Amino acid sequence: MNAQNSIDLTAVITTPENIQFEYRIAGPFRRLPAFLLDFVLRGVCVVAFFVLMIFIGAMASIPFGMILFLIFLVSFAFDWFYGLFFETYWNGQTPGKWLTKTRVISVDGRPINAYQATVRNFLRLADFAPMVSFEMMSSDAQPVYAIPTFLVSLLCMSMSPRFQRLGDLAAGTMVVVNEQSWVPTNIKLEDARVASLSEHIPPNFRMSSTLAKAIALYAERRNRISMGRRTELASHLAKPLLKQFNFLDDTSPDLLLCALYYREFVSKDAFSEAKQYAASPSKDSVSLPVNAMPLPTESLPPILKSPQ
Amino acid sequence: MNIAELLEKRRQGWIELERMCDSLKAVQYPFVNRGSQVSRFSALYRAACTDLAMADQYQLPPASVEYLHRLVGRAHSQLYRSRSFGADRWIRYMAKIVPQAIFRDLCVKVAFVVFFGLFTLSALIAWSDVRFRGFPERILGKEQIQKMEDSFDKPLAGNYNTYLAGAGGYIKHNTSIGLQCFALGPLILPSLCALGYNAVVLGASFGYMARSDVEQGDVFFQFVTAHGVFELTAIALSAASGLRLGIGIFATGGLQRMESFRLNAERALPIIMAAVVLFFLAAFTEGFISPSPLPYFLKACVAILSSGMLMYYFVVLGYPRPDVDQELENNEDNPWRKIGVDRAAR
Repeated sequence: MNAQNSIDLTAVITTPENIQFEYRIAGPFRRLPAFLLDFVLRGVCVVAFFVLMIFIGAMASIPFGMILFLIFLVSFAFDWFYGLFFETYWNGQTPGKWLTKTRVISVDGRPINAYQATVRNFLRLADFAPMVSFEMMSSDAQPVYAIPTFLVSLLCMSMSPRFQRLGDLAAGTMVVVNEQSWVPTNIKLEDARVASLSEHIPPNFRMSSTLAKAIALYAERRNRISMGRRTELASHLAKPLLKQFNFLDDTSPDLLLCALYYREFVSKDAFSEAKQYAASPSKDSVSLPVNAMPLPTESLPPILKSPQ
Repeated sequence: MNIAELLEKRRQGWIELERMCDSLKAVQYPFVNRGSQVSRFSALYRAACTDLAMADQYQLPPASVEYLHRLVGRAHSQLYRSRSFGADRWIRYMAKIVPQAIFRDLCVKVAFVVFFGLFTLSALIAWSDVRFRGFPERILGKEQIQKMEDSFDKPLAGNYNTYLAGAGGYIKHNTSIGLQCFALGPLILPSLCALGYNAVVLGASFGYMARSDVEQGDVFFQFVTAHGVFELTAIALSAASGLRLGIGIFATGGLQRMESFRLNAERALPIIMAAVVLFFLAAFTEGFISPSPLPYFLKACVAILSSGMLMYYFVVLGYPRPDVDQELENNEDNPWRKIGVDRAAR
């Protein structure tokens, strides 16, 4: 049902629509800030409530016992039911997880249910273990074992392929990164020579799909690489190709790869000739699925209105 | 058609889906009364799914594929949302599933035998002054006994102001300990130790106070009678839930270890739920009835009534009956149903 990619720390989910997609799994360094945010928020809420109740108690003549009762009840509820409540009603997110853009889901990709939320939140205490006493810091302190070391959860996370802590293992859940990434746009190839060079590439040259992928990866990232490094990276691929195309040896490797990218992904006639991979889409298969025609452009962000 | 044009064309749908995800995230029940939105959303989602499925054939650039994975993930988690737990489902869970699950659970029986066995033993030993000299002193410590005697020195006065605050404090303190017992279950020993320790200490206190030469005994029993039933049961139950959780790691019953751990965690939930409810009931009794100057007769009635309630809940409602079994077998909330085990084993 769900495969596990052992290198990339992604979990593969098969949806009811029978397609597979990947979630990135959130590791300890993403989850600790979420936990700390929740912890601080919880503390702030309890203290705010405390102050509010004292204030109300002073204003209206509510018996002091009532106020104490409410304070006890609310602090207890915040201690134990905070995560449970939010993860059940906020679709697997607490405020801290929302801020760090993570979400709890079942390991099979389904949303978390109330039982799972209960188990993983009640078991948080076991994940804190072993607790260290305040005595460790100064010998006068009370022997209160209240400082969590998180060793159990770190051990569990390091041994689980999905970075699950003990509570996650018991509940069958995992925490995934659930964020929006930038919308892919077409890569701007600013150099005017790219188009003309691409026309000189022999028309019978057919690119394998792995080569196409490698070139696309290169083109996506070259803007962030310095010129010298670009030449160094590109020359591995470009040298044999230059020889094959009978180009001049001093053609810039970077330019050649851009030209290949342009020819493969951008230029108009890329699909006009028969390609070797039969999977190349015909006009029909590319057409939009039913009901998914784009909205009128005025409701779209300005990025789309710019001329291509 | 080339990749650039294709991306340009499809991107509008993706951005619209992205924006729908953003607007849906804020709403708790996003799809109520908005049929057109649902169909639009699912159409866009399906389109994105198709794009992702076809990504290899379209030869989309890797960054776009990565983007599509994220987009489909986001939309997936908005479309398939966690279902909220309605009140009727809670009631059915507490009234039907919990007693059945607790009655059949061996861990509960073990915890009860350990707890009430040790409790009775410790109480008897502490009570008989002759045979085991100094047992309560050794278990509780001299200061603790002195403190206990001091606190029950005066007859119970009805200070109504402290009732509510007391109840709140008991809820927070006792329920937290019960939940800790559950949480430390995977390590098994802490749960068992907490159970045994509580049984021996409570037993020794009860036994010592029951001695005829301890004058504070009367006030002590005035105080503990009413809420004792709920509280002792709750202690035993919370340890039982921890035990059930921990046992899943070792006694896998043919399942994979992690799967067995998960299943047993689900089975431990009814027990800890019942324990939490009992802790709440005990806290209110302890806050309101126990410290009040009501006659002992009434407090004993409360104790008898609460025992009767527990008997009814755990034994009458929990006793296995074929018709209830049949009904619960089809209930997805029932952690003991066979389908669940089969599904887990697969």
